[in-house]
Amino acid sequence: MGYGRYIVFRILNAILVLMLVTLLVSVLFTKVAEQDIKSSINEEIGLYLRGNPQLAQALSKDPQKYHQWYEREYNRRLKMYGLDKPFWVRVLERTKDTLTLNFGQTRNPIFGETNIAKIIMAAVPRTILLFTTAQIIVIFLGILLGVKAAQIAGSAFDRAISIVAMVTSSIPMWWFGMLAILIFSFKLGWFPGSGMTSIPPKTGFAYYTDVLYHMVLPVGTIVFVLFGGWAWTTRNIMIGTMQEDFIMAARAKGVPERKVIYGHALRASAPPIITMTIFALLGSIGGAIITESVFNWPGMGRLYWTALQQNDVRLVMGITFVTTLLYLFAMILADLLYGYLDPRVKVGASQKT
Amino acid sequence: MRWVDLKASILDFWSEFRRQKGGLLGIFLLVLLIFTALAAPYITSPDIPQKWHSYWEGNPTTVPPTWYNYFTSQKLAPHEVWGVNDVKFEAKGQNLGSGMKYYAFTFTYDNRYDIPPKDIILRNINVNLTNLESPAHIVLKVVRPDGKKVQLLDMDFTSGEVFQLAKMGSVRQAVFMWASQFEDPKVVASNRETIISTMDVMKVLFAKAQRGILVNPQALKGKYKFEVQIFTFNPGDKVDFSNMQIIFTGRTYGLMGTDYMGRDLWAGLVWGTRVSLVIGVSVAVLSVLIGIAFGVTSAYLGGWKDEFMQRVNEFVASIPTLPILILLAAAFKGHVTLITIVFLLVMFGWTGIAKVARSMALQIKEETYVEAARALGAGTSRIIFKHIMPQIMPYAFASMALSVPGAVLTEASLSFLGLGDPTKVTWGQILYDAQTNSATLNGYWWWVIPPGVAISLVALTFVLIGIAMDRVLNPRLRRL
Repeated sequence: MGYGRYIVFRILNAILVLMLVTLLVSVLFTKVAEQDIKSSINEEIGLYLRGNPQLAQALSKDPQKYHQWYEREYNRRLKMYGLDKPFWVRVLERTKDTLTLNFGQTRNPIFGETNIAKIIMAAVPRTILLFTTAQIIVIFLGILLGVKAAQIAGSAFDRAISIVAMVTSSIPMWWFGMLAILIFSFKLGWFPGSGMTSIPPKTGFAYYTDVLYHMVLPVGTIVFVLFGGWAWTTRNIMIGTMQEDFIMAARAKGVPERKVIYGHALRASAPPIITMTIFALLGSIGGAIITESVFNWPGMGRLYWTALQQNDVRLVMGITFVTTLLYLFAMILADLLYGYLDPRVKVGASQKT
Repeated sequence: MRWVDLKASILDFWSEFRRQKGGLLGIFLLVLLIFTALAAPYITSPDIPQKWHSYWEGNPTTVPPTWYNYFTSQKLAPHEVWGVNDVKFEAKGQNLGSGMKYYAFTFTYDNRYDIPPKDIILRNINVNLTNLESPAHIVLKVVRPDGKKVQLLDMDFTSGEVFQLAKMGSVRQAVFMWASQFEDPKVVASNRETIISTMDVMKVLFAKAQRGILVNPQALKGKYKFEVQIFTFNPGDKVDFSNMQIIFTGRTYGLMGTDYMGRDLWAGLVWGTRVSLVIGVSVAVLSVLIGIAFGVTSAYLGGWKDEFMQRVNEFVASIPTLPILILLAAAFKGHVTLITIVFLLVMFGWTGIAKVARSMALQIKEETYVEAARALGAGTSRIIFKHIMPQIMPYAFASMALSVPGAVLTEASLSFLGLGDPTKVTWGQILYDAQTNSATLNGYWWWVIPPGVAISLVALTFVLIGIAMDRVLNPRLRRL
């Protein structure tokens, strides 16, 4: 019962967040669209006048008449674009569009496409590819090093891990990416510092190795900046667990040390390690997205960069919505996993029992 | 809490804290950063924020710092600005008859570098002409260390003229004509046009007079004497040299080099400390205070109110911060101020602290002394501020220090995306400019490395202090 309620709560919460974000996106979107349409209506009227010199001449004689005509024409076009409706009605329409991923068009084609939904759909898998690969390496490395450090707490290795964690958590990930390009791409020329494939892209099997080759620097950057934090968290939780009585009991029983650590301690530490790190992972998505744009990786990060450079507010809104969607999805996944792993999770009424 | 108690507890804290090496290093860095932020106008100059967003006239663009010379085999000329006191006058308004006056001065540049200056700029010679029909006349010659003489300028000019020698077509032509007598005639004849348009005027002027002077100039070291002669033709004309500047545009500049607008990156680095510290500290203090107030209130109220406040907390915590920040900043693009950024960061920053503060307050609430206070008839606010808050304050200080890095990094990220306060000098903006100008792919390391190191240093300072405080104040963690 507790688990079910907990999950329902979390899903409701996610839906609430999504609604808020959608509303925010829609309000901003409606505002921007209004400004855009109003300025384009003025342009249209000017064009229409230039196309009808007789009308223009007739109107230019009588300012009063011109004013009336202009007002009428303006309102007619306002109605045509649906701007005569109240603000909140337009916001609601926009909300419907946002929920159905109908964000409209970009001004300039990106990835050979102007439909925002299609552009984002092309970018998402690339971001997931990069981020997931990096995260798997980080998790593996982090847990391995963290357990090792907890085992020999206080040693030089343990202290080194702590120092690495402190230093890397202070580094902006995207800046480290710039540094990596400077060293490994510009100075040493070992790895490409830009893009996902060579230009023109290779075909067949060579395509995949080429993508892997282009992934080395961005993945390396994400791993370097994040693994210290993982290792440190793992270490702290592991040290806490290793002082529990059941570990002493296991040792007293004569269970081999290896088994004590990986079988007993790590298993007991798993829930907090997983949740803490999944939330750290969610927190690092932002940094990773910006890092992507440094490497010109054609994913969500570069979309953000392009959208902001071109001041394309529609695109920014589309990306924000999709990123939020992905983020909330990952969060619910983390909650499910946590609730499953840790039976102590209880909320609401069952908390008291 | 009485004053003596406070003093005792501070001394107690300090005697523990000073054993933390990392914490002491953090305090040292913090003092250094605060000093830099406060002394920024004196270290550099007070008008940096005003002129930061304009082009810096007279400075070289994208050149490395001067100390780069220690690491290279080829020595690069530094940036030098000379004034009227660095030249030697030979004639000051000598009357040549029929109203003509004659001025002459010389200056000697000692070229000790393998790569000479990028340009020589002569400016701010004020001529006061009575008749614009007969402007002043300038002749500029250079006597090279090998005794060869090149005439660079021979032209009329009026007030306000800036002579950027390397950028003037006539100088280019003159240098080419002079140098081509030493170059292989076949090379000159075949690529005349390309050589004229692409050659580095200063490199040729400061080169050994030998074959290859045009295509592969080798620097001739020694003293170059520049002779400037100025003539005026009306009796009332005056020439004022007092503001004159001679700029040897460097191949290197200052402590940290320059960016694409000729801005001194050292100045940007020093001034950026202010924004970073102000944002980091104010966001941390505000969000911790709000978080603690929220958490403690929630714990104290209990029941459905607690439940509701916890749901609110969870709700805010699950909003993906950076995308929403980007969205809001993009919506206010160009009008984002420091206060907006602080406000936005605080809005998303208080949740984690509120959660911990709540669980701490829940424990404290059950303590017997709180119960006793309640039995004595103490009110809600008295219990919260007198009995619960003082217990939570140590944790609050540690978490203030620990939430600075996040704020600093987020602000830098926003600036890096071009969404910061456009009127301030920030490290993130310097890196944004570097990124839009492909500094990494061109190897402009002096533009990329220092701002990032500075951001990391501020973050690291507070991480060190925060962890040390946490160890001292939460003894449970000390064994870790």
